[in-house]
Amino acid sequence: MEIKPSACASTFVDKSVVPGDVVVNLSSMSNQTIKLGGGLRQDCDAISVMKAGKLRFSKPNKYWVEGSQKRYVPCVEDTVLGIVVDSRADNFLVDIKGPVLAFLPVLAFEGGTRRNIPKFEVGTLLYVRVVKANPGMNPELSCTDASGKAAEFGCLKDGYMFECSTGLSRMLLASPTCPVLESLGKKLPFEIAVGLNGRVWVNAESPSTVIVVANAIMNSESLSGVQQKIMVEKLLQKLQD
Amino acid sequence: MREEGEEEMVTPGEMLGKASEVKAGKGAYVADYRNSGILCVFSSLNGLRRTVSPSPDSPDQRPTIEVTGHKAHGAVPEPGSVVIARVTKVMAKTASADIMCVGPKAVQEKFSGIIRQQDVRATEIDRVDMHLSFRPGDIVRALVLSLGDARAYHLSTAKNELGVVSAESTAGATMVPISWTEMQCPLTGQIEQRKVAKVGS
Repeated sequence: MEIKPSACASTFVDKSVVPGDVVVNLSSMSNQTIKLGGGLRQDCDAISVMKAGKLRFSKPNKYWVEGSQKRYVPCVEDTVLGIVVDSRADNFLVDIKGPVLAFLPVLAFEGGTRRNIPKFEVGTLLYVRVVKANPGMNPELSCTDASGKAAEFGCLKDGYMFECSTGLSRMLLASPTCPVLESLGKKLPFEIAVGLNGRVWVNAESPSTVIVVANAIMNSESLSGVQQKIMVEKLLQKLQD
Repeated sequence: MREEGEEEMVTPGEMLGKASEVKAGKGAYVADYRNSGILCVFSSLNGLRRTVSPSPDSPDQRPTIEVTGHKAHGAVPEPGSVVIARVTKVMAKTASADIMCVGPKAVQEKFSGIIRQQDVRATEIDRVDMHLSFRPGDIVRALVLSLGDARAYHLSTAKNELGVVSAESTAGATMVPISWTEMQCPLTGQIEQRKVAKVGS
């Protein structure tokens, strides 16, 4: 195996990397600060990859590895869809498809006091935000945004929830709007909530709309923008028949 | 096994004498001999038995029989003793630790300790972030506050000389303390936050 002596980061950005690749050699760079996101590790003078995926760079100095998995690793400030598993005295236990259950404090709601604690049954679907995610500790969630307002967080009623990969959830949340959601939105009325942990919730008036939207999203993971539009149109035609 | 002087090796359940003639001390108990109605003293540990003569002014003139097992000479944490412990789990409001030494002596059996959020430091105790004070695997010096509950002793690090004594960074190197809240990894230069103990004069 040959070792690349001076790996400049720009050669690896937006390319697929595997664990063990050295992407940046710190000794060859001048005094710069680099921020490392998920999937990268510092080994004395070299930055090596820990996770398989594509290396991404955002100005001015942030690098991270993006990969699509079924498993979710909790990160701070992610919005996820959780399912209530149990309730304790001072927090709810919520499953967010991570390695351990997450805690949602009973007071982490807008205007939450000891007197108006919400009663969530086991199996309730919640749209929550990850507040603390340290390795080894259970992640902590919240149903408010950073300023304390409710901001659409909370329990999702009716509708249909399905699971997908983390890469697909990121694509659905990308801006500008991803083509499949755009073309569906032009023809069908529906509401959707996407969790970065690989869960998507869809709600619409008629069940057939919900099924078409769910199938379209599940099919769109490996398709390009144009292919997604064609696929959506085919599905909508069948719906009209 | 050789007998050493007056001491003899006994095993659990071995009869040491009649309850009317001897008293049961540490490591021994009184029970009915085979449902006969005669109470006898039996050993409850594997160890050496010793007879302690009674003090002359006590009303009960029976000698006491004691059995010392292998754990009897190990150290046991008492409230007020300074212990060295290894952190096993860090949670939102508590950190669990396994006590390894009491003072200068190592322990012979497992003792668990708990450090609560309000006992981590002396100032601003309600704004303590447990994850920025301890990590699993850290070696801490702590003070035993109380016997706590059946599961664990209550420990405190709320003094300058108490806290993390030795910790490993995520890169695997032993970190060097730089202040009472930070330690630095010598390999990568990354700074991690801990509640550091002040070591030295």
